[in-house]
Order: sequence, then C-alpha cells, then structure tokens
Amino acid sequence: MNFDYIIQISGPMLEGARTTVLLFLIVIALSIPLGFVVTLMAKSALKPLAWMAHSYIYVMRGTPLLLQLLFFCFGLPQIPVIGEYLVLDRFVAASLGFILNYGAYFAEIFRGGLLSIDKGQHEAAKVLGLSKWQTLRKVILAQMFRVALPAVANESISLVKDTALLYAVAVPELLNYAKTAVNRDFTVTPFVVAGVIYLLMTLVLTLFFKALERRFKFE
Amino acid sequence: MNTMIEVKELQKSFGSLEVLKKVSFSVSPGEAVAVIGPSGSGKSTMLRSLVHLEEITGGSIVIQGKPLVENGKYAGASDIRTITASMGMVFQHFNLFPHLTVRGNLELAPRTLKREKVAAIEAKSRDLLAKVGLADKADVYPSMLSGGQKQRVAIARALMLNPDILLFDEPTSALDPELTGEVLRVIRQLADEQMTMIIVTHEMNFARDVADRIIFMDKGEIAESGTPEQIFGSPRLERTRLFLNQG
Repeated sequence: MNFDYIIQISGPMLEGARTTVLLFLIVIALSIPLGFVVTLMAKSALKPLAWMAHSYIYVMRGTPLLLQLLFFCFGLPQIPVIGEYLVLDRFVAASLGFILNYGAYFAEIFRGGLLSIDKGQHEAAKVLGLSKWQTLRKVILAQMFRVALPAVANESISLVKDTALLYAVAVPELLNYAKTAVNRDFTVTPFVVAGVIYLLMTLVLTLFFKALERRFKFE
Repeated sequence: MNTMIEVKELQKSFGSLEVLKKVSFSVSPGEAVAVIGPSGSGKSTMLRSLVHLEEITGGSIVIQGKPLVENGKYAGASDIRTITASMGMVFQHFNLFPHLTVRGNLELAPRTLKREKVAAIEAKSRDLLAKVGLADKADVYPSMLSGGQKQRVAIARALMLNPDILLFDEPTSALDPELTGEVLRVIRQLADEQMTMIIVTHEMNFARDVADRIIFMDKGEIAESGTPEQIFGSPRLERTRLFLNQG
C-alpha cells in the first residue's frame, strides 16, 4: 500500500462517505420517532390501530431489507395506474425504505422498554395525582428510553453498515466509490480504506452512546 | 366532619371469585387503624379500592363526605381525582421512580401539578427528608438506598401533597427484619401527630402499639374489630385467636 495512493483516493471516498452519513442522519432522525409512534399504536386500545402496527412490524421485520430497497427504488413505478406517480429519486426512495424498515425495529425496541416498566410505577404516579399523559411523559417514557438505550445503540451501528446496501440500488456512496477504485486500479487498498472509514463512523457512535448511557445511569 | 372514610358494603369480585364481601367500616379524623389478617383475606384490595387502584363491584366509599362510589356507581373522572387527591399511599414495594433522585421523587408530583410555588415545594421536600432522617440523601438515586431508606423516601413523597389520610399497604413486608424499625418509627411519629391512617400490616406488635383500632379481616370480610386490647387480649372469635397465635 502506497501512502500517496491512499491520499489520492481518500478525497472521492470521503465524498461517498458524505452520502452514507447523510442517509444515516435522515434515517435515524425519522425512524426513531416513527418507531415510537408505532409502539404507541401497538399498545392502543383501538384494535384496528394495534392490528395495523403489528402487521407493519411483521412485514418490515419478516422480509429482507434488500428486497424492500429494491421494491421502493424499482418496484413502485411498476405498479399499475399509480406507478407513474411513484417514480422517486433513487436516494429518496432508498431513504424511505430504510426509514420504514428501521422504524419497525425501533418500535420493537421501545415496546420491550415499556414492558420492562413495573406496574407499580403507574400506580404510584396515579396516587400522586398525575394524569395518564403526565405519567407517560414524566415517569414512563423517561425510563423506557433509558432501558432501550443499549438496543438503540446497537441498531444505530447496524444502520451505519446497512447503508452499504445503497450499492445494490446504484446510489453512489462509500462502498460504491471503493468498488469503482478497486476495479479501476487493480488494488485492494480502497476496500481497506472504506473499512477504516466505516470503523471510524461506528467508533464515534459507540463513544456517543456510551456517554449517553453514563449520563442516564440513575446512580 | 366526623368521619374521614366511610365504607359501606364494599364488594369486589374478580370474575366469579369474591374477594370482598360487603365490607363496612369507618375511620375518624386522627385515627390510626391497623388491618390484619391472613394473606388473601382482601386487606390490600380493600385498601387499594379506597384510592381507586381497584374498581369495586358494589357498595359505597365516601371520603370526607364526598362519595367516590355510591352503591357501585363511581363519581365522574375529575371528581374521582379530586377525592383521591386527599389520600396518600405507601406501597409494599416502595414504587419509587428509579430515574429521579430522592429529591426528584418528592418534587415530581407537586412540580407537575403546580399548585404551589417552586420555592415552597423545595423547602417542603427539604423539611420532609429531614423529618424521615434522610436529609443527606436528597441527591442520591433510589438504587443506592437500602429498603428501609427507600420506604422512608416513599413516605416523605406521599406527604409532599399534604394528604389528609395516609394508607400503608404492608409497608415493611418487603424489608429485611433489621430495617423495619426505622420505617415503623416514622409511621409511629405520624400517628403521634394525629395523621389519619390505615395500615395493612403483618407486624402484630406494631399494630398493637400504634393503632387506635384493629380490623381483623378473613376470607373477604371483617371478621372482628376493636381496640388493640380487645383484639389481642380477648378476641371474640376462634379464628382471630388462631390467626394471632400462629404469628
């Protein structure tokens, strides 16, 4: 491996990493709130609402993410009649697929967090005169997010790596640049550089979530 | 007003299982009532129904003259909240909020309900922590406390809202024996201050010591009630005698 070569390919690869980071940020920012809403729907007393939430989770978790991405990028426009209105920018379509997929996983993570909260917490809050909404906000959610934190961290790190699936729908990102360079220059170095860039991104996330966990330790 | 709590023919069933069969009693201001009896006798269910943690199937509950339930029919949601707000409750398993410090546990409800100024709330939480002997633990999370300390925090938390009535649901049953004393001392002090209290307990010596009146429950009914001298000295019923002797 030659140092000048690494410098030379790093420019375009970091360019690709920008797409990776952008996708990551968009998906995290939208799929976490989506997951939260779906959790509340799944817990709802309104049966059709709960049923919709459970079906959504089942479908998104029960099929490959790659299939979902292909569906949103190439499948939607093929749908009869409405298909022609569903031709989205490939990056937008892929983001949509990621958001819906990760939303389902986050919903399950939050549901687990809610299950871990003792019934006594609701009772104590009720006897202290808090309304249902106040209890949810001040007692239940605060604890749910803490319990869910390690799983959210895990899922976020998975997302960094899953962004590489953009390769399959031909949206240029980090892995795409690496593969192009490997083919062009007959060297494995770009793959190693890509690996290091992914490691740096997951390292930042790992440190970030560790700090969050320390901050909310309740000790 | 001469009754704090008036319970008439309280009935509660879970499916076909009758847990409370026409339980009636009343509590006067400043009175400390201890409820004793074997497990499954309906003591806790009775206590919990007073603060609407259990929905009863029949009978009436009147708190300070205001009906919470009348002949099985509940008051409206906002009335229920106002009526139960005059009661504080202390649970067997403390039910402290683990994500808040001791001070945060005390101040959450008053700060959320905003009936008092923040400065007054802070002063009160300081005073109450001092009263239960935990002034130095204000900024500690519950996970760092012993069971006895947790229960004392729970009592202070219940007192933050100035309840007229305090209900204790087996406050020492989850504690190691050597930690019950510190909790019972706090409850005894409240009794000395004429706080109206109902205490469901298995601590017979404590009940005899602190209570003005003992209610012995068995199989969903009040089998016998009277002064501690009557109940512990010369119980009227054989089953009361049997229960007291086995403990």
